Amino acid sequence: MRIYSSMTDKLSNDFFRGARANAPIGISVFAYGAVLGMICAQKGVEIYQLTLMNVFIFAGTSQFIIVDMWSNITEVLTIIIAALLINLRYFLIGASLNSLFKNSSLKDKFLFMHLVADENWAVTIERSKHETITPLFLFGGGICLFSIWSIGTYIGYIFAGFINDPSKYALDFAFIAIFTALCFNLYQNKTNLIPWTSAATVAYISESLFGGNLYIVFGAIAGSLVGVFLDGKRYV
Amino acid sequence: MVKDMSNNEVYALIIIFSVAIGTYGLRLSGLLLSGKISDEGRIRIFLDYLPPTLLLSFVTPAILKEGLAGIIAMILIAICMYKTKNIFMSMIIGVVTVAISRNFF
Repeated sequence: MRIYSSMTDKLSNDFFRGARANAPIGISVFAYGAVLGMICAQKGVEIYQLTLMNVFIFAGTSQFIIVDMWSNITEVLTIIIAALLINLRYFLIGASLNSLFKNSSLKDKFLFMHLVADENWAVTIERSKHETITPLFLFGGGICLFSIWSIGTYIGYIFAGFINDPSKYALDFAFIAIFTALCFNLYQNKTNLIPWTSAATVAYISESLFGGNLYIVFGAIAGSLVGVFLDGKRYV
Repeated sequence: MVKDMSNNEVYALIIIFSVAIGTYGLRLSGLLLSGKISDEGRIRIFLDYLPPTLLLSFVTPAILKEGLAGIIAMILIAICMYKTKNIFMSMIIGVVTVAISRNFF
């Protein structure tokens, strides 16, 4: 009995430790959410649609992509593909959590994986290198980020009405700036340069030629294939 | 209630739930299938390249549409990320650069 209670203590402790560890990063998550909320209000996204995205998708960058394409909402398949392509990294993020979940039940895996975002994943991976933690640490961080993110989006949504010309303040450029920053954060070494340039070039040309949203998919696939062609040789 | 929905609202729901199911599927299948993918060299490289090339494809036309201000913003973001690794600060720098250019030039 004592063993059981000390185990539950340890478990609930990990939940709160995870939540606390993610609180500092919450400031930028809040701001990022507020920007999304503002753009949602401008694009005519309803509160219930924003809420559904926050609860069921919970992946900021892909939510930005969906909202950015909102004016071409009839391009259903293009939007789904673009959003899922940007979320493909979650497959690798999931794969990297293998050792954290090695003693977990299938139920825990199904339950905890939904609230995995870039931030709580990064905090958890970093922490797991010098401490023993359970998946509840990851989940606590997820709940913390989900709360902050949601509040941020609603506050942004509400206050968007007070800013009558958002483009004057370049708020429409905010997520372009965030994506650019995230992209530079992924830079590894010189081998990235040619694939990255290919992606940018193909995206720019296909946007000029066709408009719409497919240029994102074309650029990404072209750039990644160039990457496979160049890097792949070393692995064969 | 379904009757009152416009076509666009139905499209939005299809998009939201497809992306939700797909994203959850990616998160979970990555965990469940981990260990099996690391041997697949080429697939792994392709997947590794997708996030940055996708982000770059997304931002390039938008940055070039801003002209010189967009390119300056991009360079400042690159410097800020290199020095501080702070995404939030990079966002502020990018937005302020473009806002100044739109209001004063």
